[in-house]
Amino acid sequence: MVKALKALAPDHLPTPKQEEWKYTNLARVLPEALLRQKPETVREVVIHRSRGQNGGQVEDVLWTGFEGAHQQPVLRVTVEEGADLTLIERHVGQGAYWKNMVTDIAVGKNARVHHIRLQEDSPEAVQTNLVKVTVAQDAAYDCFSLNLGGKLTRHEIHAVIEGQGADCRLNGLNLLAGVQHGDTTILIEHLAPHCTSYQFYRSILDDTARGVFQGKVHVHQAAQKTDAYQLSNALLLSPMAEMDTKPELEIYADDVKCSHGATTGPLDEEPLFYLRSRGLSAAEARRLLVQAFVDEVLEKIPDEDTREEARGKADAWLTMRLR
Amino acid sequence: MIKITNLHARVSSDEGPREILRGLNLEIQPGKVHAIMGPNGSGKSTLSYVLAGREGYEVTEGSVTMDGKDLLDLEPEERAAAGVFLAFQYPVEIPGVNMSTFLKTSLNAIRKQRGKPEMDALALLKLMKAKCKELGISEEMMKRAVNAGFSGGEKKRNEILQMALLEPKFCILDETDSGLDIDALKVVADGVNRLRSPERSFLIITHYQRLLDYIKPDIVHVLAHGQIVRTGGPELALELEEQGYKDFIEAVA
Repeated sequence: MVKALKALAPDHLPTPKQEEWKYTNLARVLPEALLRQKPETVREVVIHRSRGQNGGQVEDVLWTGFEGAHQQPVLRVTVEEGADLTLIERHVGQGAYWKNMVTDIAVGKNARVHHIRLQEDSPEAVQTNLVKVTVAQDAAYDCFSLNLGGKLTRHEIHAVIEGQGADCRLNGLNLLAGVQHGDTTILIEHLAPHCTSYQFYRSILDDTARGVFQGKVHVHQAAQKTDAYQLSNALLLSPMAEMDTKPELEIYADDVKCSHGATTGPLDEEPLFYLRSRGLSAAEARRLLVQAFVDEVLEKIPDEDTREEARGKADAWLTMRLR
Repeated sequence: MIKITNLHARVSSDEGPREILRGLNLEIQPGKVHAIMGPNGSGKSTLSYVLAGREGYEVTEGSVTMDGKDLLDLEPEERAAAGVFLAFQYPVEIPGVNMSTFLKTSLNAIRKQRGKPEMDALALLKLMKAKCKELGISEEMMKRAVNAGFSGGEKKRNEILQMALLEPKFCILDETDSGLDIDALKVVADGVNRLRSPERSFLIITHYQRLLDYIKPDIVHVLAHGQIVRTGGPELALELEEQGYKDFIEAVA
């Protein structure tokens, strides 16, 4: 909630001494001047879908950062019972700025929200984004985050599954190079029985880029028959790139199915050789394998137009990195 | 013609490089099917990887030529374009790359290297359908990711399909019979037999004689300790089946 915004005020910046900020040092990247800068007037976007409004409406929200700005935007989304919404969120900007954002999403009973984030902040920007989602009975929240931009970004999702039969899907693709640092931190709380949660993140890291994936699933005692899955795969294109992965399961119910997995490493030699033995050059083979790595997660974007848009952005990145 | 002369090769391992091939000599004339049989650890798979150009397999001495052209100097993809095809013992699963994309990319990469124009999508589709039909492969396979979740038989049939599409001059089959039941073995052998032609040479690497009941070799070699220790006709395979490799292991050791 908005309280969290105050907790991130300049004098109270989290430090790596705090467990949940262990891999992300905000103070080291945020310019001093931005810290001292008085925040801009809060820009608040409120999206409300009334009960039963399920016409497949799309909301497209653009957040722009400017040189020297310290922004504290707020996005509030309420989707009432039986309603649906496709929310596309675009992040762009120029110069060095700090976008310290709070997002609050309430998905009502039997409602559906598809949330797509296309994050292309400027190479000097810092974005910290705390997303709080509540998912009610039989509701579904589905988020896909494409992270391309920013010098340091942290996408922190705190999802609370409150009602029976709810489904929460968090997916993302991080494409980072240079000195970029991209942090995805997730806490999913299962409060109710018969719910599913699914996390699938892939990262490609080049140069000295660093990726962080911290995903925690907390299954409360009442949440029997929970089905939770988590997977993070990171592909390192350079020996200097780094991925820090911390999967966590905290389970208090005794009849649940929870699994997680994580991989980090360069492209496997075996498929590369297999493809080359079939006539593909080393560069073609690499491209095909990396493309497949990316496609498998992009498939999770339910909306076709947005999926194609995201694919186009990913393709452009790959073409540049795999020259 | 394939000519392997005094081939020495080593493999890098955790304990440092190990010499596996120790002066191997072999000549295969166009149109001929040669079988190499040998006990585990004799160097059979190493030979297939050395011929296909896999990294980590270092040739320290000797030569391999195809129609007089040095093969060892070429990258794996250049060997493929020159006409070398290795049917893998364990075909690699590539999730996320679907079969038709893979076959299209592969075929066009080879055509490009051979100086032929790329094939358009429609012509390719037709060709793939025809080859699938010829080899008794379900077209449904084209929609799946390369080898991902394929049964042992499907993987091997997929290798034969690729072999048929890429029209190689020199086919190496590395333990193609491993993991196959008798029905799958027949389908695969039938596919190979259809590809036999006066211009195409085959090297069938196998531990067991069983495969050679279905793909009749012209010449059979025994590989032990990195060398060809005996060469004969198809009857040699039967002899090995009866007596095992014991004599060869002891003779050199």
